Amino acid sequence: MIFKIAFKNIWRNKLRSWTVITAIALGIFGGLAVISTATGLSEMRQNNAIRTYVSHLQIHDSAYLKYGALDDTIAKEKDILKFIKKNSNTAGVSARLRIESFVQSAGGTSGILLNGINPTDEKRVTIISEMLQEGNFLEDFNRKPPILISQKLATKLNAKVKTTIQCSFTGAGGLPVTGVFKVVDIFSTSNSMYDEINAFVRIEDLRAMSQVYGSHEIAITLQDEEQVESFRDELIEHFPTHHIATWRGIAPELGYADKMMDLVMTIFLIIIMLALAFGIVNTMLMAVLERKKELGMLISVGMNKQKVFWMIVWESIFLALIAGPLGIAASFLAIQFFGRQGIDLSFAAEGLRSVGLDSIIYPKLNPVYYIVIGILVVITAIISCIYPAKKALELNPSETLRTA
Amino acid sequence: MIQVTDIQKTYNDGKVQVQALRGIDLVIKEGEFTAIVGPSGSGKTTLLNIIGGLDSPNYGKVKIGNTDIAQLTENELIDFRLNHIGFVFQSYNLIPVLTAKENVEFLMLLQKKDDKERNERTTKLLVSVGLEDQINKKPNEMSGGQQQRVAVARALASKPDFVLADEPTANLDSTATANLLDIMLRLNQEENITFIFSTHDQRVIDRARRVITMEDGKILSDSMKQMTDK
Ligand SMILES: Nc1ncnc2c1ncn2[C@@H]1O[C@H](COP(=O)(O)OP(=O)(O)OP(=O)(O)O)[C@@H](O)[C@H]1O
Ligand SMILES: [Mg+2]
Repeated sequence: MIFKIAFKNIWRNKLRSWTVITAIALGIFGGLAVISTATGLSEMRQNNAIRTYVSHLQIHDSAYLKYGALDDTIAKEKDILKFIKKNSNTAGVSARLRIESFVQSAGGTSGILLNGINPTDEKRVTIISEMLQEGNFLEDFNRKPPILISQKLATKLNAKVKTTIQCSFTGAGGLPVTGVFKVVDIFSTSNSMYDEINAFVRIEDLRAMSQVYGSHEIAITLQDEEQVESFRDELIEHFPTHHIATWRGIAPELGYADKMMDLVMTIFLIIIMLALAFGIVNTMLMAVLERKKELGMLISVGMNKQKVFWMIVWESIFLALIAGPLGIAASFLAIQFFGRQGIDLSFAAEGLRSVGLDSIIYPKLNPVYYIVIGILVVITAIISCIYPAKKALELNPSETLRTA
Repeated sequence: MIQVTDIQKTYNDGKVQVQALRGIDLVIKEGEFTAIVGPSGSGKTTLLNIIGGLDSPNYGKVKIGNTDIAQLTENELIDFRLNHIGFVFQSYNLIPVLTAKENVEFLMLLQKKDDKERNERTTKLLVSVGLEDQINKKPNEMSGGQQQRVAVARALASKPDFVLADEPTANLDSTATANLLDIMLRLNQEENITFIFSTHDQRVIDRARRVITMEDGKILSDSMKQMTDK
């Protein structure tokens, strides 16, 4: 009966009820939109990082990470590569020789990291090969050794395809080496910071010039990301003296970003719930004050205060129960739609690129959030109607009945 | 039986003190049909509210049956009202979102009466106030007289010991007033229901058995008529 009266009561002032319902639904929608976009962004950032420069796993010589010395190459490289290739979950593995270098062209100078790679292997590990202007991943070249530089570096050096550039670095035994390369293509990833310092050359060219015949880094991608940790354990078991890290260890900032997102989401949820709470407090307070006389009558004829209290509580729960599903359904549809279509933010592409993001965002939401929001909305509704409901209890029946 | 002993009530309206009741002694027996009359401000509403436990006196005692209502806690008092007192208000005060039937049923639901008893009694009461064809109407679809008849049916639904009605006919036209009085009198005679009501209306006063006249917070006269109109 109390349910029934409560439910009917919310339709007494249809405009007001719908206003609150719409406000709550919009609040949920807005919150979920922000959260899903943030999730999409964070995931994109993570994927971009993994697929362009972090990979799933990296192996280094333990000393190389500390001192970065040229001769700290990976020991037993052949065994390791063999072991990795044997694993059925391996999607790709690439051994890299990395040498810090000073680069010079007719148009400018810069400090970069020369990555000596095998293009065929690298293609299976990163997607740099897909981010080229002309699609020449160090495969098509003439006399001079080829080099890939980023758009950003190209601008800095005032270089373009076919420009010859000079790299000076220290080779084996501390001997200075100068290599002359010809730019064969220009790449551009979604991370401009990465672009600025990385260039790619063929590993055999770099080995010949530097006289360093190993590699400093083995990068691995797996078919199933879930198995990263277990594969790492397996590798460590076999090669205990090497430094073997997963992407989480290599780029903890990606994880921090996740934590940041969690914080942002929590803050947003709090804001949504506060807005919701104010809406409900306001509406229910009006509903109580407007109905003073009726509530006074109910108390007079024998409806006890607990029942009056619950009637008001149920009214706000009903409001939330109508608004919640509406908001959640709207968000669900929008997130499904844009999750597939993407939200095009090309107008801000430059800014996004500087933090490692593409210009099309695919919002995404962990389904748990729908449930969390649903529960939070109901809890907020209950909490926020306590004050108005208490107001109803303070009513003095004889006073309210006198006011005709 | 209602026993009112030396009731005094003073309202503290900011700085002004209003002595609404200045020592009321009164006994109302079962089956009475009593009108409380008097000029505006004489304390009728205050007295009815105190008898009904809606307001508390500054001094004096109200005993209903064997219960001194001042001894009850707030919730006990509300329950007491539910089970022992029926209320009819000047402005009907039905629950606007419920139909006539649901309004009458409401108190029985609060009393946790079962479906069968509820339905039977609701129907019986609505028939006895002549509204059997209006049971599914909401208050705003009924006339004032009809609403007040629903209110009388509601007041009786909980099988109260007596019904308190503060100016029940003040908002009704003369036909509706006569009609309502007919119903109240019939219920009083046939089912021995005690009615205590306040009024300004001479036609209502004329039909009361006992007339208590108040002035200035005191009882001026208390007269019992012969049961002539039977
Ligand atoms: N809440 C209140 N605060 C202050 N004074 C009050 C309050 N309620 C009633 N009074 C005063 O108490 C006195 C008695 O009022 P009451 O309403 O009982 O009179 P009444 O006989 O019912 O009058 P009416 O015929 O106009 O309904 C009046 O002087 C009134 O102004
Ligand atoms: Mg009055």
